[in-house]
Amino acid sequence: MATLQHQEPPAFFVRGPSPFARLIFFSMLSLALMVVDARLHYLTEVRQGLAALLHPLELLATGPLHLYRQISERMRGIEALIHENRELRERLLRQSVDLQKLASLQHENTHLRRLLEVRVALQQPIRLAEIVRAGRDPFSHRVIVDQGSHQGVLAGQVVVDGEGVIGQVTRVYPFSSEVTLITDRDLAVPVQVERNGLRAIAFGHGRDHTLDLPYLPVNVDIREGDRLVTSGIDGIYPAGLAVATVTSIERDTNSPFARIVCTPVAGTDRNRQVLILTALRLENTWLESEDEHRVPSAQRKGGRRHASR
Amino acid sequence: MRPVSGSQIFASLTGALLLYLLPWAGFGLMLRPDFVLLVLIYWLMRAPHMCNIGTAWLMGLLVDLANGDLFGQHALAYVLVAFLAVHYQKRTTLFNQWQQGGYVFLLLLISQIVLLMLELFGGADVPGWDYFLPSVVGVLSWQLVVYSKIKVTGEQEA
Repeated sequence: MATLQHQEPPAFFVRGPSPFARLIFFSMLSLALMVVDARLHYLTEVRQGLAALLHPLELLATGPLHLYRQISERMRGIEALIHENRELRERLLRQSVDLQKLASLQHENTHLRRLLEVRVALQQPIRLAEIVRAGRDPFSHRVIVDQGSHQGVLAGQVVVDGEGVIGQVTRVYPFSSEVTLITDRDLAVPVQVERNGLRAIAFGHGRDHTLDLPYLPVNVDIREGDRLVTSGIDGIYPAGLAVATVTSIERDTNSPFARIVCTPVAGTDRNRQVLILTALRLENTWLESEDEHRVPSAQRKGGRRHASR
Repeated sequence: MRPVSGSQIFASLTGALLLYLLPWAGFGLMLRPDFVLLVLIYWLMRAPHMCNIGTAWLMGLLVDLANGDLFGQHALAYVLVAFLAVHYQKRTTLFNQWQQGGYVFLLLLISQIVLLMLELFGGADVPGWDYFLPSVVGVLSWQLVVYSKIKVTGEQEA
């Protein structure tokens, strides 16, 4: 009981407002801030500025881990590196064969598109980013990457890895940005079943790294192991990126909807390097004008019901 | 007992924030105690004339900022806890070590419950029981601090 002894009695006349008055004042202040932040979105710039102030502290906190990683990379023997190099070379060779095919296919595709007089799909500039740390909030699935508005990242951009979609940039800070994973409760991805082209919307489950496909009838033609790819009809996600595979389907006759659970294809909880794609259609300016930092497919619950445009 | 200086409070709060900012992930994230609140409670109970409800509010805002959460939710939770800590400060000096531990545990739980309620208003799902693990770990680390302090200051007073 040595920690908390009587502190020196404070000076008699300068005690300030009573604790209760302070409680009321600061509670009101926090409540007002919450309302302003959640409903009016006035605080984006304030948040960005303050985040830049907090940045050095964050660097200090993540520094040791980075150092450890760098050292452990150095310490890996030359044998392992040679081995890895050989493996990568092999993979490069295999993939360059595919790439040759891709060039001719792309050529053919543009030709066909011209024949059909369809606007040429934009080439997607890609930016490599590294995940600095996972989000700290157990309620949401978010990661922070090391590319921010200084590097030209915009809110709403799609983040992928080698296998498929990881998520979407939801908040941009000067030197980092926040990526909401597809497993987050608030993120919806328009998808298509690769086998039969059935369209649906995948919502993050919020827990245990899975996705849900709600609002599909019990008799829907979907099987375990079906691959879901992005359908591209929202103008945010480019079409054809792998999203998830169906792992379990419960057809409960009491409910009009089937309960379909999918697991993401991409390593939402494994990889360190990710790719940020630039928005698909540049003329889609309603995205910025409607809402600065909450992008349409990442709306809160109320907006979800209308998401199936 | 030596008087508390402002720089001491500032340094310890910065240190707590730094601990909070460490790249926790997976199991560590599930267990991570709320360092900032623990340090705040300590100072609120020991030196309420220097570290008061306003300090708690400011630290809550910083934590919100670091989390990328809704602005003000940690601030509100910390303010409520700070009020309780300050209001019962005179009484807590009479507690023995175990009563004090229970009291701190209660304060940590209250902050988590406030945060949980705010999240539930925002439409979150009810989390599992492991949501409250950080409070348990928090009170354990509090005991650690208490033990080490006894060693440090006990000799001085003897």
